Amino acid sequence: MEGPHAPRAVPGFELVAPASVEEAIAALRAADDGGATAIAGGTDLLLDLDDGRLAPRRVVSLRRLPWRTLDWLDGALTVGATLPLRSLEDDREVRRRLPGLWQAVHAVGSVALRHRATLGGNLGRSAPASDLIPMLLALDAEVDLVGPRGERRVPVDDFVRASRRTALLPGELIRSVRVPEPRPSAYLWQRVRPANDISQIAVAVAFSPGRRHWSIAVAGMPPRPALLPDVARDLGDGAPSDAALTAAAARASRAVPITGDQRASEEYRRRLVGTLLTRAVRAVPFEGGRPL
Amino acid sequence: MTETVAHLTVDGAPADLAGMPDDERLLDTLRWRLGRKGTKEGCRTGDCGACTVLVDGRSTLACLTLTREVDGSDVTTIDGAARDAELSRVTRAFAEAGALQCGYCTPGFVVALAGLLKERGRAAPLEELLDGLQGNLCRCTGYAAIVRGVALAREEAP
Repeated sequence: MEGPHAPRAVPGFELVAPASVEEAIAALRAADDGGATAIAGGTDLLLDLDDGRLAPRRVVSLRRLPWRTLDWLDGALTVGATLPLRSLEDDREVRRRLPGLWQAVHAVGSVALRHRATLGGNLGRSAPASDLIPMLLALDAEVDLVGPRGERRVPVDDFVRASRRTALLPGELIRSVRVPEPRPSAYLWQRVRPANDISQIAVAVAFSPGRRHWSIAVAGMPPRPALLPDVARDLGDGAPSDAALTAAAARASRAVPITGDQRASEEYRRRLVGTLLTRAVRAVPFEGGRPL
Repeated sequence: MTETVAHLTVDGAPADLAGMPDDERLLDTLRWRLGRKGTKEGCRTGDCGACTVLVDGRSTLACLTLTREVDGSDVTTIDGAARDAELSRVTRAFAEAGALQCGYCTPGFVVALAGLLKERGRAAPLEELLDGLQGNLCRCTGYAAIVRGVALAREEAP
């Protein structure tokens, strides 16, 4: 076999596919000191393996674990860590009850990529350009983890630390992601090339009908997507007035810790934050002060 | 090394994967190990869609898939178009519409569209099919003819 990418004689890593959660945790632990990493869909991980940013001795596949699940229970959505994003996108209830989450999932890569990419992988890799993290923040989602010392539940806001950094402990795995309630919501982004680029800015907005408050998250700034609680308070406890929305957009534009890079200048990004926030809030359907 | 040999069916035939390293990509398995070069390598970063194949009927980027991760699957590539009704239909429609210039992106487009038609059926709105092809890039920018090819494939009787 010849060619630029003809298979090498010596593998760069060993791949193991444990049949149980316990074995998966043990396989990760047995090669610790950064020597092991988990793979779900692999659509992001393989890029880092390809150009050497990551060089684990062992890759632990989650493909045999029973985590390709999607469950609604008492209004809460639980998505198994290894469910392909395409299956999440295809769920009619997700589109109806969490429209912003549907839009965020749809914004990830292409159909072929979403057939393999997963919610667990997206969170575990904590990419700065993740379309899903800002929406999960605005939905007050939580991550269910399982590891050598048992299970724990962590808010997404605490789980995502920075670009490529999470609260995962050695040997720990993301089992599922929980969205506590259906929320009228929207996710809007701006890209240089819509089909195959990451967003210059993305804005996730959601309204909690029970608690009557807004959540706003912005992505496209360092060190990670973040909630803007002060901006959310500007919007009040229902459909905001034009004045309230203008004030919120102006505050968001000022407040975000944005920098310029090759995708957009700082000034352009600040304007985008205000514009996308205004459009996203307007896209959340209300009637007579109540969410539809 | 993983001890077990991976099993794959490629275009209807069992593939010989003895001695395959753990880190091999499906794209390399198809092109270099099995000699099926209809599946193209474009960007190798998941951006261009040239390497799209069907894994158990679902469009998949072969460049971002470890072969062992799809152990036990049925893989269909452009080289197997003749034995797959949907792939044959899309191939004919693209030929009729002249939906190619240099042709390098064509296998990816054909397989991705066949996958969408298998998923959504031909009743799917044209806009949804075109939206579903956003991950396929044509560097010749021959998109107008490709759009006609997609419309033809959708309309053609089964």
